[in-house]
Amino acid sequence: MNGDDLALLASLRAGDAAALEALMRRYSSRMYRLAYGITRNQADAEEVVQDVFVTIVRKGQTFEGRAALGSWIYRVTTNAALNKRRGKRLELETSLEEHLPGFDADGHREGDRAWVLADWSATPEHELLAGEARAVLHRALDALPGHYRAVLVLRDVEELSNEQVAQIVGESVASVKSRLHRARMALREQLTRQLGSKA
Amino acid sequence: MTCQEAIAILADYLEMALTPSVLEELERHFAGCEPCRAYLATYKKTRDLAAAANRVEMPEEMKRRLREFLLEQLRQNG
Repeated sequence: MNGDDLALLASLRAGDAAALEALMRRYSSRMYRLAYGITRNQADAEEVVQDVFVTIVRKGQTFEGRAALGSWIYRVTTNAALNKRRGKRLELETSLEEHLPGFDADGHREGDRAWVLADWSATPEHELLAGEARAVLHRALDALPGHYRAVLVLRDVEELSNEQVAQIVGESVASVKSRLHRARMALREQLTRQLGSKA
Repeated sequence: MTCQEAIAILADYLEMALTPSVLEELERHFAGCEPCRAYLATYKKTRDLAAAANRVEMPEEMKRRLREFLLEQLRQNG
């Protein structure tokens, strides 16, 4: 474990409020990003972050000698967020298969020429993160299964390696890579349906 | 290499995880395939957009609530 984390946990065990605040400064933002990315709900994400920190406050001593606190935090935050979502948001999730690219028997992408050549990548990011494009992106993120969103956030936002993400979500590296690729393709397909004709 | 095979390895391509021979084959495919070049460009943009959309900050009011709640927990714990 990181020496700073060990020292902070030791101080926390002694009831040091400054140590708790230092741990919050170090970890709460990334916990919230991950929890929100999975639950897609502010109140649920807040509960997840709170529950994980309560565990740290109450059971700080049990972390000693374990792997990095950061990895543990990512793991329990992921699990808590997936559990939170499991009961509430299944109705929003659609089959990923219907948003993956289709191919002809000869391996070419299905669709007319305008569809397969659609390239909206030159549109500035600030335009794509506003208005109808933003709504499409957020609906598409909502519709992804929670396990896919967890991988998307851990890899593309937190910028962890495939191996680190595999450890956190308890899956193989191959499974993490497959989920990441399929999630990106499903989002791309839905954005292209909205933006392709305007590019 | 077909378009289907090229698209299947895009994530590895972006991570620079392809062997030199597969990389050469993929780049040759891109050079002759406009749809796959468009796919690659929009795939990369999608990755960046989703990351930007997911880069949310915890609201200040929530930070304050969390801090107060946890400090109270710490006091009770002690």
